[in-house]
Amino acid sequence: MKPPSAVEPSAAKGIAYLRGAPLMAFALIYTIVSGGPFLWVAMMSLRTTPEIFASPYALPSSIHWEKFVDAWTKSNYGTYFWNSTIVVVTAVALLTVIGAMVAHCLARYRFRGNRLVRFVILSGMILPPQLMILSLFQILLEYHLYNTLTGLIIVYVAGHLAITVYILEGFFAQIPQDLFDAARLDGYSDLEIFWRITLPIGVPALFTTVTLNFIILWNEFLYAVVLLTEDDKRTLPLGIMHFMGNHQLDVGMVATGLMIAIGPVILLYAFFSETMIRGMTAGAVR
Amino acid sequence: MTERALRQRAATPSPPLALDARRASRATLIILLAPALLLYAAFMVYPVLRTFWNSVHTIKPNNVPAFVGLDNFRALLGHDWVFWKAVGNTAIFAIFATIADVLGGLLLALALFSRVPFARFLRVVWFTPVLMSYVVVGIIWVWIYDYDWGLANVILRAVGLGGFEQSWLGDPRTALWSVMVTHIWKWLGFNMIIFLAALYALPVDVLGAAELDNCGWFAKLIHIIIPMLKPTILNLTVLSFVGKMMIFDLVWIMTGGGPLWSTETVSTYVYKRAFDWNTFDLGYPSAIAVLWFLIILVFIFALTQIMRQRERLEF
Repeated sequence: MKPPSAVEPSAAKGIAYLRGAPLMAFALIYTIVSGGPFLWVAMMSLRTTPEIFASPYALPSSIHWEKFVDAWTKSNYGTYFWNSTIVVVTAVALLTVIGAMVAHCLARYRFRGNRLVRFVILSGMILPPQLMILSLFQILLEYHLYNTLTGLIIVYVAGHLAITVYILEGFFAQIPQDLFDAARLDGYSDLEIFWRITLPIGVPALFTTVTLNFIILWNEFLYAVVLLTEDDKRTLPLGIMHFMGNHQLDVGMVATGLMIAIGPVILLYAFFSETMIRGMTAGAVR
Repeated sequence: MTERALRQRAATPSPPLALDARRASRATLIILLAPALLLYAAFMVYPVLRTFWNSVHTIKPNNVPAFVGLDNFRALLGHDWVFWKAVGNTAIFAIFATIADVLGGLLLALALFSRVPFARFLRVVWFTPVLMSYVVVGIIWVWIYDYDWGLANVILRAVGLGGFEQSWLGDPRTALWSVMVTHIWKWLGFNMIIFLAALYALPVDVLGAAELDNCGWFAKLIHIIIPMLKPTILNLTVLSFVGKMMIFDLVWIMTGGGPLWSTETVSTYVYKRAFDWNTFDLGYPSAIAVLWFLIILVFIFALTQIMRQRERLEF
């Protein structure tokens, strides 16, 4: 075995630097590639379309905040934003409560049919949305839930229950059984145990699923495009697509719309980046 | 707990049941499980069964569904060349984008793992595209690919390669690959994070021993790191591949399946046959969805079987 410091210290440093330079260059280039497009949209959202066509990649010369007001009031983005907010907040709240209830049962109790319930719920993870979308369209029409936010919320909750239960059950199962035995001895009822032990201890896991569901549903497109067609029911992704379809050439205004959709996500990401990264990748690693 | 003890509990329900925290009363179970199970029955199980039923019928609006047996499947497999084109495109997409996703994610993770300065900040920035919706990503990249002022052509012209400028999404030869690049760009950060977690979970002494043996970083990568990451690599490959077999959103937003079916995928074709074509038949697209689901199931089983086999051979 050769001693590691066979070369002179200064030369070793030089080699380390050379090895570091391509790495630095790569890091810099990929940072521009991954983050640059969003900065570009942010700049365009503050410029008018004629300014953009004159020079697409210039910095804003004068900042047009009024474009956001225009988008919000004149182009219906306000409606789209509130529809998205209502749908996502309601669906995430329902998913968290219903998912935690199921996960608690599966992780904590022995009962007949435990395995069957687990199999049925978790098999939802491998069902592609395409398999259900056509019949859901028919079913919602029959139940008079087609073109309603309620219908979309129900479909979202059903569709994302599997991943929610999967993540929560994994966490709940690790809570020591002693806690529950002690609670039972102290005379807690079943529902009190769920409410006062599982939920408070499970907060980190609940946070993870809330993040995951929030991001996925805020961005959801396929179900929304099939189940909503009226303009005042559209969620943000549909609204932007619709606006893009009608105003292909008004790049400035489309960019403002994109910023309205990206804004909340970026804002949350700036403060909770670690939680959001953990949340988005939670289903994939165990 | 022995069987006798269980039977005793069943015989004298109230005091032991109340003290066994592993058991809950029937009422509790119903309260906790009923909402989920009802929702599932009505909006997951029933739709799936109904799609299977639909696939052997012809269903026109305001019409009684007519039973057609396996005709839909016969037509699909026999003489629907758009379907086969869509299958081909989806396969190309799933294979190449999966390879790029996994290799690219590993590359990014290794860059961060080799202690590049500002690694924490870079990790956050590189992950950003994962959080963005397909609509946002799709529209941004439609602009990037724009013939006149899009960044792709602007850069080519700037470095004197103006001859290579393309209407990236308008030319059938480049459209599928252009959409693929966008898809890879969006998901690389996801794979990066999973690989990074796996890298940090590697035993430190093994990497340290390699360092002492004066093992070059490339040799270390090939002989030590990649073999040890094999479970993660296989896992991500399955996840990524299955996800891409269902691809819809990005294709729909960027090209709508065009030009000339060059980016048509199975999912966009299902959507088109159901809602855009004036056949107005929900039976035929249901048959496509059912067939494709069965193929995906076969892939999931095959890939997980291969994974298990590999693990058994190695450990």
